[in-house]
Amino acid sequence: MRFLRKVARMSSAISQTLPLELLATGEQGTVIEVDGDPNLVIRLEEIGLHSGVVVRMIQPGSPCILEINHQRYSFRFDESTQVFVDLTP
Amino acid sequence: MVEKVPSQHLARTVAVIGNPNTGKSTLFSALTGVHSRIGNYPGVTVEKKLGWFEFEGQSVRLVDLPGTYSLSPRSIDEMVSVDVLLGRQPDVGPIDAVVCITDASNLERNLYVVSQVLDLGLPTVLVLNMWDVAVDRGIQIDPVELARRLEIAVIPCEAHRRRQLDEVRRGIIQACQLPQRTPPDLFPQTFHEEARQLQTAFQQFGNQNLPIYLIERLLLDVGGQLETALTKPNPAELLTRLKAARERLATAGCRVPGIEAKLRYGWIKQLMQGVMTVPDKRPATVTDTLDRWLTHKFWGLLAFCLTMFLVFQSISTVAEPLMKFFEVGQKQVGGWVGSLLAPGPLRSLIVDGVIAGVGGILVFLPQICLLFLFIALLEDCGYMARAAFLMDKLMTKVGLSGKSFVPLMSSFACAIPGIMATRTIENRRDRMVTILIAPLMSCSARAPVYWLMVAAFFPTVSWAGGWVTLHAIMMFVMTFFGAVVAIPIAWLLKKTLFKSETPPFVMELPAYKWPSPGIVLHRVFDRASAFVLRAGTLILATSILIWSASYFPSDHRAEQQVLVQIQQAEDQFSSQLEQKSQLRSRRELLLEDQPVPVQSAAESSAPIEALAAQLAELDAQLAELDTQLQPLHELFETRNQISERLLADSYLGRFGKWIEPVVKPLGWDWRIGVGVLASFPAREVIVATLGTIYSLGGDVDENSQGLQSALKSATWPDGRPVYSIPVAMSIMVFFALCAQCASTLMVIRRETNHWGWALFTFVYMTLLAYIGAWIAFNATGWLMTFSGNS
Repeated sequence: MRFLRKVARMSSAISQTLPLELLATGEQGTVIEVDGDPNLVIRLEEIGLHSGVVVRMIQPGSPCILEINHQRYSFRFDESTQVFVDLTP
Repeated sequence: MVEKVPSQHLARTVAVIGNPNTGKSTLFSALTGVHSRIGNYPGVTVEKKLGWFEFEGQSVRLVDLPGTYSLSPRSIDEMVSVDVLLGRQPDVGPIDAVVCITDASNLERNLYVVSQVLDLGLPTVLVLNMWDVAVDRGIQIDPVELARRLEIAVIPCEAHRRRQLDEVRRGIIQACQLPQRTPPDLFPQTFHEEARQLQTAFQQFGNQNLPIYLIERLLLDVGGQLETALTKPNPAELLTRLKAARERLATAGCRVPGIEAKLRYGWIKQLMQGVMTVPDKRPATVTDTLDRWLTHKFWGLLAFCLTMFLVFQSISTVAEPLMKFFEVGQKQVGGWVGSLLAPGPLRSLIVDGVIAGVGGILVFLPQICLLFLFIALLEDCGYMARAAFLMDKLMTKVGLSGKSFVPLMSSFACAIPGIMATRTIENRRDRMVTILIAPLMSCSARAPVYWLMVAAFFPTVSWAGGWVTLHAIMMFVMTFFGAVVAIPIAWLLKKTLFKSETPPFVMELPAYKWPSPGIVLHRVFDRASAFVLRAGTLILATSILIWSASYFPSDHRAEQQVLVQIQQAEDQFSSQLEQKSQLRSRRELLLEDQPVPVQSAAESSAPIEALAAQLAELDAQLAELDTQLQPLHELFETRNQISERLLADSYLGRFGKWIEPVVKPLGWDWRIGVGVLASFPAREVIVATLGTIYSLGGDVDENSQGLQSALKSATWPDGRPVYSIPVAMSIMVFFALCAQCASTLMVIRRETNHWGWALFTFVYMTLLAYIGAWIAFNATGWLMTFSGNS
């Protein structure tokens, strides 16, 4: 996990985009894309995790705690679901 | 509280909808006060909550719909909500207006479902609840501008402080007078065309009256409830057409289901531009601090265990004296009623059947209320979602997700709402496993059995200055025993019958808040009245049945003669009896006041010696009285012998002897065996049954107070006591694991749509209970001899 984060950070010099689960505590980013099983994706979007919103990592891990607009959610994705975010410095 | 809801024709009907955790229930009860009624929609187990209020001469019926993030019907709950809004739910009728309740501090996400409601074209009121929270966070919203853009009433409100309620009421009344609205059109023309074509197709197959709204939802919701519900006339043909329509939409750049979120959030973004400003800086909140500890990998789990333990410790601390008080009361009522009636079958039925049976279970009402109170408090303050988060890690180990935790946790109060709460689990296999293990969670009906056994057979030991007691520890252990056993069962089920991947887990963690007393008390009241109702119906009926089986066919004349003699003797010795009870209570008071012995302090020995002297004097007086009361004791002895024989000769006794070989390996005598068998319809019946059996079957003297002492003095024919710690353990383990609740099995059948699963649950749990009780009996017995020898 730590290795992955390092790799993502290195590549983030080129693009700022990285998978959501690689955010560290307190980091935030804008959701670019929610990808995976259409039924799960629409459910995520309905509760507020859709492209354009700013998410903040409260507690990384599996499950993690995220904050969107002051509202906290607990998420654990399966392998097929990927959320990409643009890191906000 | 049960008043007539104003009829449809006189009152306007208004539906209330909104996201979960927006204070919807608080607003609903604030608006309607005590005028509410909870029931079920016909044919489904979705809770129907109706309320009503009158304002400025107009009466309004409110229909509270289940909290939801979206109107796309993926579950039965959401399907009912859509039907109500479309006026397709016959017992609700047409809807005059909709109230959308939103959390002002998180408005954008809340507007998603609002935009779906607006598509219905009904007059709508938008309530911005939790306005104070939004203000605290520095969020600024311009409700006037928002109302102008949406062309509906927008009302800020603080439901938990009961502020702005009249404005909400006025808004609702005014909305009811308004005509239908033209909905904002978010979808492209191609989408509407496809919907119309599909509507024509449905008309061809005889489904004439489908509103275009439902057809649009059908197009959008891939794999939703509507796909099975609407295509019934000709599933193959209609589903093919539906699929083709979706494919055409995708090529036109309108891919379902993704398009809906994109369009709606785009609309919301545009709508909110210039209406709402959110500060860049995020203020630290109490929730931040609390979550840092309560969701921590180590401290969070510790806090969870501590919370659970505190709950059980306080229940046992507060409730044990109350329970004693109730037991004395029960005995006195029995005595009083007994003195009014002549000895005979009627007196026996009322005293031994009804008072000893039903009264025996009502004694536990304080504990039940406290247990429900704690569960309601934990749910309402927002902690339950954190507990689910913590448990997700453990749940994934057996292949389930944290989602299953909340239904399982509420099964600790009662498995029925717990099993119904599994509807929030989308994954069918996960839901099945959760349903099948939910009855293993220790429900409130098991608690009386534990309390009875623990209070009667475990010594009163306490540590840490009385803060931690052995009774509370035993209660805690027994309560979580079923949950521990559920772990391997769930793992096994997930590996065999319901093989599937661990599902993803998504859950909202609401901000912590002070529990609302109204909601908490309402929930406690609901559950407590259900408990009393059960005691008054099912348990009363079983008690009477057990009483008749244990009273007949024997000849009770000899016993009645003795009872008459006892009554005469009691009148004769009344002064001695009174003196004796006074002496006994003085003795108990002395023992209770005894200071904690401090070995190092020499001066403390003097008061102890004085106490011993006082005690000795009291004991001497008691012994003197007992010799005077000897004739009465002899009468009791005779009565007990006769009763014992009569009970053994009764139908119940014969049946009990017949089944004794089966229950003997568990350390039980035939009475326990009969009690357990009688409690298969509802497990708390065991307390009532034992109450009746022991009240009829002797083992009582003038000091007997309730069931506890009766159990303590019960003996085998050879004089050994029946109950010991191993027997108590064996009974408790059996009750922890057995499926003794007809209502739960019915709910399992209804929720799984198959009798097979109810039968499966019954068989596996009963087998588990028998084996578990056998192990508990032998292991505890072995442990006790082992520790006794060493």
